[in-house]
Amino acid sequence: MRPVPEVLLELAGLRAAYDRIEVLHGVDLTVEAGSVVAVLGPNGAGKSTMLDVVAGLHPASAGEVRIAGRDVTTADPADLARSGVCSIPEGRGVFPNLTVRENLWMVTYAGVDRADVEARAYARFPRLAQRRDQPAGTLSGGEQQMLAMARALTSDPALLLLDELSMGLAPLIVEELYEVVGALAADGVTVLCVEQFAATVLGVADLAAVMVQGRITTVGRPSAIEADLAAAYLGGVP
Amino acid sequence: MTDTRLEQFRAEIAELRLKESNPDREATLVRVGAALLVAGIAVGVVAAFVSHGTTDALQQRDAIVIALIGVSVSITGAAVFLRYSLTRFLRFWLARLLFEQSGR
Repeated sequence: MRPVPEVLLELAGLRAAYDRIEVLHGVDLTVEAGSVVAVLGPNGAGKSTMLDVVAGLHPASAGEVRIAGRDVTTADPADLARSGVCSIPEGRGVFPNLTVRENLWMVTYAGVDRADVEARAYARFPRLAQRRDQPAGTLSGGEQQMLAMARALTSDPALLLLDELSMGLAPLIVEELYEVVGALAADGVTVLCVEQFAATVLGVADLAAVMVQGRITTVGRPSAIEADLAAAYLGGVP
Repeated sequence: MTDTRLEQFRAEIAELRLKESNPDREATLVRVGAALLVAGIAVGVVAAFVSHGTTDALQQRDAIVIALIGVSVSITGAAVFLRYSLTRFLRFWLARLLFEQSGR
């Protein structure tokens, strides 16, 4: 008999607001350990806010975020990050005036060896090794995203939250980055990613969900989601 | 990621300390700080009038003590107000700086 998959992340009736404007109206979503779940939807649907709430960066006004069965809705973002909840925000978030290696050193504050961090990053993204002394601000968009990912991965995450990985990048680079995401999931890292552009992410996702106007409207296998996606992007609520 | 890492993650999440949900705490403390600042000044002014309105040395000394308490309350209030209003300001400033730099 097939073992029952373990749920690592669960959102139950999650609501969040910016001042009095509610943007999440009761989100329910389940992410199994070691899977890649893609949340797709148009701009302004509330996808990034959902990730911020999971990472503890934005308070939930109602509902629960449960990780490994524990309600962590009010947990401190720094504590969550230390435990292994890693968030890569939209817009990459690298330090443009620091070199590639200095950006990588930013994760060595907890006593991790600098050489070890660099070796792990360059093994995953060999292109960064050639750019190690170059300021991050002079890298291409794809290389900056690689650097952001490399820096995140050296913290040995268990739950990776990816916000708009493909934003502003060429399709080939996006494919390359999602290959890494697929490899991470194969290693057992649980990935929750939000995207506007569905084509590539549906290729690596185990499960996909469509979010429209702060609600998850459809959840299913990526192949089954594609039809609903067109309706969501064209303004319909399935 | 190995099963050991997943086990470690589960254990760390289980031990995670959770804070009380109170998103308005900072705003409340800013208001409390401002109120203490004003109240301290008011106490000092009242003490000055009390001292001025009497020739009794004992009452004047009491007024001095009350005025000093007012000054202390005022300084404490100013410190609380600055601490929490500056935190908010600096957080937005840092976020904006990072956003602007990453946009270059």
